[in-house]
Parts: sequence; structure tokens; C-alpha cells
Amino acid sequence: MKYRVRHLTEYQYAAPVTLCYNIAHLLPRNTDRQRIKSTRISVSPTPAYQRSRRDYFGNTSFYFSVQEPHEKLVIDVSSDIEVSRSNVVGALDTSPTCRDSIALLKRSERPEYIEIKEFQLSSPMIKKSKELADFGWPLFAADKPLLRAAMDLTTKIFDEFTFDPTSTTVATPLAEVIENKRGVCQDFAHFQVGVLRSLGFPARYVSGYIETLPPPGQERLVGADASHAWVSLFIPELGWVDFDPTNNSMPDDQHIITAWGRDYSDITPLQGVIFDGGDSQSLSVSVDVARRSEQ
Amino acid sequence: MQDQKQGLPSGKPLFSDNSEIASWYQTPDQAFDEVFLNPGESKPHWRYFVDSMNRAGLTQFADRQRKAQDILRDDGATYNRTENPLQTSTWSLDPFPYLLGSEEWTRLEAAMVERSQLMNLILKDIYGDRELIRRGIVPAEVIYGHPGFLRQCQGVSLPGENQLLMHAMNMVRGLDGEFTVVGDRTQAPTGSGYALENRRVLSRVLPDMFRDSNVHRLSHYFYRLRQTLTSLGRRLNPNPRVVVLTTGANSSSHFEQAYLSNYLGYSLVQGTDLTVRNGRVWLKALGGLQQVDVILRRVDDVYCDQVELSSGGRGGVPGLLEVVREGNVIVANPLGSGILETPALLKFLPQIAQHFLGHDLAVKSVESWWCGDTDDYAYVTHNLSNLIIKPAVRRDNSRSIYGRELTEEQKAQLLVRIARNPHLYVAQSYLKASHSPTWQQGKIVSCPTIIRTFTVSNLDSYFAMPGGLARVTKQHAAQEYVDTRHEVKSKDIWVLSDAPETYFSLIDEHQDILTDIDLQNNLPSRVIENLFWMGRYSERAETVIRLLRTVFHQLQDSDPLPEASRDVLLKALSVQTGSLPGFCAEGNAAIKNADAELISLIIDGNRPGSVKANINSMLNCSEEVREMLSADTRKIVNDLRDDMGRLEKLFAKGMPTAPQEALDDIVTSLLALSGLNHESMMRGIDWRFQAIGRRVERAIQTATLLQSTLTEGLSAYDMQRVLESVLLSVEALISFRRRYRTRYDVYYGLDLLMLDETNPRSLFYQIDALNKHTMRLPRSTTSARAMSHELKVLSKSLADMQLSDLHELSGLSEKTNRREKLDELMQTLIHQLEQYTGFISDKYFDHMTKPHQIFSPNWELEA
Repeated sequence: MKYRVRHLTEYQYAAPVTLCYNIAHLLPRNTDRQRIKSTRISVSPTPAYQRSRRDYFGNTSFYFSVQEPHEKLVIDVSSDIEVSRSNVVGALDTSPTCRDSIALLKRSERPEYIEIKEFQLSSPMIKKSKELADFGWPLFAADKPLLRAAMDLTTKIFDEFTFDPTSTTVATPLAEVIENKRGVCQDFAHFQVGVLRSLGFPARYVSGYIETLPPPGQERLVGADASHAWVSLFIPELGWVDFDPTNNSMPDDQHIITAWGRDYSDITPLQGVIFDGGDSQSLSVSVDVARRSEQ
Repeated sequence: MQDQKQGLPSGKPLFSDNSEIASWYQTPDQAFDEVFLNPGESKPHWRYFVDSMNRAGLTQFADRQRKAQDILRDDGATYNRTENPLQTSTWSLDPFPYLLGSEEWTRLEAAMVERSQLMNLILKDIYGDRELIRRGIVPAEVIYGHPGFLRQCQGVSLPGENQLLMHAMNMVRGLDGEFTVVGDRTQAPTGSGYALENRRVLSRVLPDMFRDSNVHRLSHYFYRLRQTLTSLGRRLNPNPRVVVLTTGANSSSHFEQAYLSNYLGYSLVQGTDLTVRNGRVWLKALGGLQQVDVILRRVDDVYCDQVELSSGGRGGVPGLLEVVREGNVIVANPLGSGILETPALLKFLPQIAQHFLGHDLAVKSVESWWCGDTDDYAYVTHNLSNLIIKPAVRRDNSRSIYGRELTEEQKAQLLVRIARNPHLYVAQSYLKASHSPTWQQGKIVSCPTIIRTFTVSNLDSYFAMPGGLARVTKQHAAQEYVDTRHEVKSKDIWVLSDAPETYFSLIDEHQDILTDIDLQNNLPSRVIENLFWMGRYSERAETVIRLLRTVFHQLQDSDPLPEASRDVLLKALSVQTGSLPGFCAEGNAAIKNADAELISLIIDGNRPGSVKANINSMLNCSEEVREMLSADTRKIVNDLRDDMGRLEKLFAKGMPTAPQEALDDIVTSLLALSGLNHESMMRGIDWRFQAIGRRVERAIQTATLLQSTLTEGLSAYDMQRVLESVLLSVEALISFRRRYRTRYDVYYGLDLLMLDETNPRSLFYQIDALNKHTMRLPRSTTSARAMSHELKVLSKSLADMQLSDLHELSGLSEKTNRREKLDELMQTLIHQLEQYTGFISDKYFDHMTKPHQIFSPNWELEA
């Protein structure tokens, strides 16, 4: 499937910001199933300094610094992306069982398995806990294929959690999400990663977009999409497989990946510092995921 | 050696049998003795020193010890400074050096270099291919689970082989006489500067012993350090600018940071003194932005850049890492090197050494267990009493836990904590440290000793500092390990050579001589601002104390002070200190109980304007600029701190019998400070700003004093007493009497205090001086001809005074019975002086606000 994604971020400050340094994780990356045909980022006011590079996790990070006073900062990204279908979706019983997966992960001396350990540990925003493990434990029976168990977990989160954009912010701690069982995609993804890691499985946090289709008979609204987040689980012999707890699905060719990391803090869309700018700022984000006709 | 030791009964004297010293020194039980082979027989490399000691005797040694502490105090050598500037802890130096013989040193030196080389390889691997993890030599969690593993630094490297530029090792010597490393410091190793200060002090108090012992010089190490930094910096700039990045005056080792930056000739800067623009790092200097090429950091790496690293605002430079990444600034040690400090690595070092070097390390590390490993975890839970538990993540405040001191309940609690995050805990076995003689309250006691040694990158290898820092715990000798929770004393390490060392010059031929302009460009605006405020606060303190002293004098005078005069003076005091309402409160409540208010104006540090608050502020400013202060100035600053302490104690008990005399010491110290300022400081830009601070403060204070005391219409006698008091407080009473005899008239008072340009305390004198200073400040080139705002406002003030009519000023208004014209003029002058300081501040000081993070999650891993 081919897409054109446009992601527009606007910061409006109460007073001029005199200087800012930012790192954006807004440019999509290449993956096994995803090719970036073209991508373009423009920042206004024009940065005095900017660099694009590959970060630790292989994502594209974009560093820029604006050195002139500005009350408004606009970051406009548009990319043409081609996504191919997943061959795992719908084949839930093709994976090793939970027991075998754990054994394979432990025993294997393969270097890439050792590196995967990074995603089995706690990370800045996701602390492993018994509580998280207990949530998923009943679903991960020893003989059950891991892929099916993980999908069941995805469904359980989808069923038990309430989507509520007013309940959390980007910095809401996981403990609070667990307590209230409310949140947005980011919180659900953190939660699921936390459950998987607490059970001993390597899991990472994925950010990106999802193509939304208008209700039948209605026009698609431009710019009404949003950035999205889901999880990826490492399954021995299969590799990384994605799950989307917000939509109770396994991402296929309607999910477009921007970046992945241990959690949100590794791939914050925009991080950095500003000087001055008054005591308030408003942020508006508009995302548009448009399907391009196949040629 | 071991057999001999174990055969010894404890408590037996060890120095030569008939000496006075002999009776004090106790044999350590079951520990390696640094000095003696057996009773009365010192090791060959100690022989000369022990003999000299015995000749000198205990009393003389006590004197030398005192002298050493005096020098340290005068140098302001502190450690663990607290927020309270009146409380400092002087660095503690033991008068006994720690001696290393030349053969022993040769072996140790090689082992240190080898260890640094290995640490360097590990660092390169961690931020490179991570072969150690891939091959399973180091468990992934040790690195991945450590918040000091800075993923942002992946692939960032310095030119050349050596990434680790400085390395320090803590070692103890076991019963077999062999050294064991108990910890590595690779972040921003503390101690080399203290070692240098120790050496300076000890070579002064033990000059003969030092000279005749052929001690290796420490300066070689610093020469290498400077060479390394310069050669790295030359890739960016033929004459690189190197700065020392400090966390500021409240850092526990701020003394060392200031001391080293002076010794090495680098500017001492804080994070806010630097700024990143156009992909480079710049120093915000008085002369504008100056490019920085090398940063010797004393700030932990995770705090170095608020953009990419932790948000914990401890003096980082936003954007720094990106400049490092682009290779446009050198940071030493490199960002990310802190992870090498994790004690978890110690367990794996033997295998790592085998992997990288193909052989074992010459000096082993302390036996360690990493709780992230199942077997180790089981061992630790069963042997807690015999282990020291350390957090795998070293922080400023992290403490070791001594298993054997825990109650059963505490042990259980600790095990719960470990179980929660096993990979964050490491256990080490107790090591019986060697003992060395230590001076303790007039006695020589044998104490467990730990040494810290240093290496510095030297092209493709490492150079070991021939010396270092030994530390002993001040406690009973029965303790066989060094426990740094207790009070610790340091020792100078003397590496002995067989022959006197040949002199070698540390002058770097390649370095350009700096001009005044260069110096100006090296001075951070913050330093200038602090000097300015140091001048203002010391002047402000002096004015207040002088006025207080006068009030005390007048209140106790044999001629009782009339009520009206008293009220004017007390109210003036409240106005002068800015602590209103105070004596100016309605109904004169405070005046009726004047003592309480007066005491509070002296010792209440929370009251802005009080003597203590002013002295505190002054001391804080002086700490911020300590590297700029001469030795004599630091001595006076220390005196001031002591004076204030005494004053506080005295007045805390109520009004003392001679309050006026009690204030004399502090006035003398303040005068000494301004005298030094005037007589011994080079007339550089730093001096000028301090002088401006003093002048502008004195001008404002004088105008305020004239306004608050002389505007009120009083009876002739009452007025006389007030005028007399004012003259007394500004030290002009004698001149006044000589000139005007007994004509206590406001007219003459103003003549002397306002207009007389020969009176160094007159208002005119201050503003005229300000005018001269301001004309010599660096000016922006664009406005070379036009008169600057700050000069205009001064010229107007001078004219306002010159054009005023003394008769008019001293005349009373019939309507209000006040000197309205005088009030008005003083008000104008005060306003203009405040405008002036505003102009100066806008033009020369840094006004960048604090950075805000646009996204800041909770980064810290719980430990």
C-alpha cells in the first residue's frame, strides 16, 4: 500500500522564544515491510543549525536549533511511504509456544538474541512489576503459541481499558494508567510492553500512524488523523511482530512506522529545551494519512 | 612478611624503642603495616622519614600539623561545602605522607597504565560494537540496565586511540602487601587537585624531609593533561580555548575545581556561562561570545546537556552533545564514560582482560558479586554479613551498605530492595586495608588506608601521576577497612626516587601569551557580575555596621541622646538596611524595645539587609569567583566568615555589654578587604567592576543616609547630635571639627558629605569615580562617539550636585518643617544611580533565562 503522510506540528508561545534546541522523531524509518520513497521536513523559522541522522535504535532523528526570537514554531513533515503486507497476521498458531520461546531466548547464544535483552529490561517510563505480570499471566499458558497469547493480551487490554484522551498526558506514569485503566494509545502501548517484559518477553514501543477510513458514505476528513502508538514483541524464529491494543489488531499494511524504542522517552516526537517563551505554550498537531492510488 | 605480622602481640609500640613517639604507635592487628617490618625496624623506604621523625620529636610534629591546617584554611581548601557560607569544612591533611618505594612504584605504575588501557577498550566497545555483550562476556543488563549507558553517545568518538582521557583508581593494600582495586573513577575524577594542594602544603611544613626524600613531582601529570587537551583542541583551533566546567560554588569539590583551573590556566565556567550557537560552544565573556574548543568537565555526563540527556538541572549546556557529535568541541572525559564506574564491571574484568589483552590484569580487583546473576544473587542473600553492598549506579549521594552492621530487620529490608531490582546491586568482600601512621589529636595512631591514583591519556598510552591521594579513616585502629562514612583525612603520596629528579620546565612553548583583550575574552560575564556584587555587598555591610556602631556609641554616650535624635538615627537604620517597617513602624513600638530589633539587624540572616545577610551574600559571591581571588584576599574572606560566626554567637545571647566594640573586628576585616582591593589588585576589568560595585553602593548608601537623617527639622541640639552621628559613622567627624569647629550646621555637613571632592566618602567623590571607571569600560564599537546611557546619567548626577545651592538645600520649608529640596535632590540621585546600575547590568551581564524542557519524563531508574 502507498501512502502520503503529512504531519504538521505547531507550537504557539505566550512570549517570544529566544533560542531553542530540538530533536524530532517525526521522520519515518525504513523497516522490513516499509520503504520510504521520499521524505521532507521543513521548520519555520528556518533553523540556524540542523542535522538529520540515524539514532541508537536506527530511527531517523532530526536535530535543529532556532536562534532567532519566535512566537510560533512550525514543523512540517511529509513523506511518501510504501508498506507491504505482513505474513504473520492471521497465522496465530505458527509461532513457538510460550514455554519454548522463553527457553529459546534464554538458551540461545546468538548475538542478536543477547542484544534483544535490552527490550526485556525496565526502561525510563516502563517499570516491570509483579502486578503487570499478573495481568497477563493467565493468557500465557506454557503450551499456547506465543503469537496467540500476545494477541489475546491485546484483546484483553482493548476490552478492559477505556480510551479517554482527557485522562492522561505524555508524562502520565504507568502506575496511574494501571490504576485507572484509562488512557490513549501511548498508555496502552506502554502497558502492554510492561506486561510482556514483566513476563520475560522482549517488547518495544512503536510510534507511527494508522490509516483511518471514513464511515461508509462519508468523505475522508483531511488532517483529522493522529499519530499512533503500538507495541512490537520479539518472537524467536519469527522476529518482531506488532500488536495494536488500541484497535485490537495486528498491524498490517495500514500501520506506518515512524520509530521504535524502549518507550516513549526514546522516541519523543519533539524533545528539547527553549529559552524564554513566557509561561504557557499551546501545541497543535495535524496528521493526514492519505492512500495513494497504486500505479 | 605475613608470618612476622601475625606473631606480633597487639598494642606493642613500634617506633624506635626509646623515642617519645614510640609510645603512641600501635601495631595493627592482622593488617599489612606500611611502615614497619617488625617492631623498631622500618622498611627501607621509610627509614629516612622515621629517623627524621624521631629526631624532630612529637612536639615539633604537632606544630607542623597545626601549620599545615592553617595553610589549608588560608587557602580556603574545603570539601563538602554546604549551602550555608558560614559553615565550611576545611580539607583535612595528615602530616604523615604515604610513601611508595621506587621499585614498588614501577610495578604499580605499569599496572595502572594497563588498567586504564583496558578501561579505554571497554569504553570504546560499549559505545561501539558491544562485542562484550554479543559474546556474553558482560551480561547485557550490566550495560543496558544502567542509566549511565547513554544511548545518545553511540558512535561518538574522539580523534585518536584513547577515548578515556582521565582515570582514577581506588586501591587498598591487602595482608600480602599486594594492591587491589576497589573502584574506578572515570566520570570526572576528583582528587588530583587536592593531591596538588596536599603536596604544596606538606612540602612547606616538612621542607627538609621533602627535599631529602627525592620525591617525584606531581607536575608531570598536569603537564601531560594539558598537553593532551591542547593537542586534541588544536584540531579545532591553533590556539584552543580550554575551560573547566564546574557545577558551581556549591559543589563539594569546588575548591579543587577552582584550584586546578588556576593551576592549568583555564577559565572556570558554569553551564550557564556557555551557550551553543551555530553548532559550536561559546563562552559568554565580557568581550562577547568566544569559541570554546575543549571542556574539562567536572559535571557528571548525564547532567551535561538538558536537550538530550537528563533534565536534572545541574549546570549543563543545552545542545552540548550535538556539538560533541559533530566533532566541534572536545569534552574530557567524554560523555558516556560514567558507566565505567559501575562496580558491576569489577566482577567481569578478569574475563574482559582475557578477551582484550589475552592475559590477567597485574593488579586485581576486589572480589565482587553482581546480583543480576542468579548464582551471585543466591550467594549474596546467604552471606550478607560478610559483604559490602554497593549500588550498581554510582551517584553523588550513593553509599555503601556494610552487611555486618545491619540488624536482622535491616537485612531483610535490604534483601527486599535487592530482590526488586537485583541488577542494580553489587556486593564486594571486605578487604583488610593496610595501616599507616596518622596524626590524631596529638597522638600517632595506625589507621586503615586507601589510596587513589590517577592516570591521564598520553597520546596512545597513559601516564600515571607519580603520587596521589591517600585517605585514612579517623577512627579506632581496630577497624580494618576504610569506611568513608566517617571523618576522613587525606595524605600526600610520596613516590620516592633513588636520585633527585632533574628539573624540567612545564612551560608550553606553543602557548601564546595572552593580552588584556584575551583575558577579557576569557572572563565569563557571570564572574564579572559576581565581582560587582561582591563589591556592593561588602560596601553595604560596612555602611550598616558603621551606622550600627555609631548608634551603639551614641546610645551609651555620657551625654544622653535626646529622644528626637535617637528616633531619627534608629529610623535611618531601618531605611538603610531596607528592613522596613522596623523602627519606622507606627507608634514607635520597635523603638521602645530597640535592643531586640538591633540584634535582629545584626544576626538575622533571613532578613535582607541585616549584617549577616549582607556578609552571607558577599561570601557567596566570593565563592563564585574564588579562582579570581588572591591568597591574601581569601585569607580575609575566611576571617570575615569567622568574625561573623563570633558575632552571631555573641549577639544570640542578647545585647552584649560592649556592642560597639564587638563590631570592630568585622569592620577591620572589611576595611582590609577594600584596602587589598585598592593596593594589590591589577587594574584589570575584574578589578574595575568590583570597584564600580563599591562606588555605586557607597553612593546610594550615602545619599540614603543624608536623606534619612538630615531632612527632618529638629532643634539645634538635636540636629547637632544627629549630624555628629552621621559624621561619626562615615569617619568624617574629625575632619569636620577641624574645618568647621563646633558649627554643627546641615549646611556644612552637606558641604563635606556631598560636595567635597577630596573626601573619599562624599557623594561627589563616588559619582566622579564611577564616571572615570565607566569611561574605561569596553565599549561597543557602534557608539564610539555618542555618550552612553550610563555616562549620561552620571554626568547629570554630577551636574545636579554642582548646580545645587547649599543654602537652599539646608533651608527648612516653612510649611512642612522639612528640607524638601534636599529630600528631592537625594531622591533624584538615588534614582539615577539605580538607572546607572540597570544600564551596566543590561550591557555587561548575562541575562539569559533558565532553559525549559518541552518534554521531561521521569528518567531515573529506581534503585
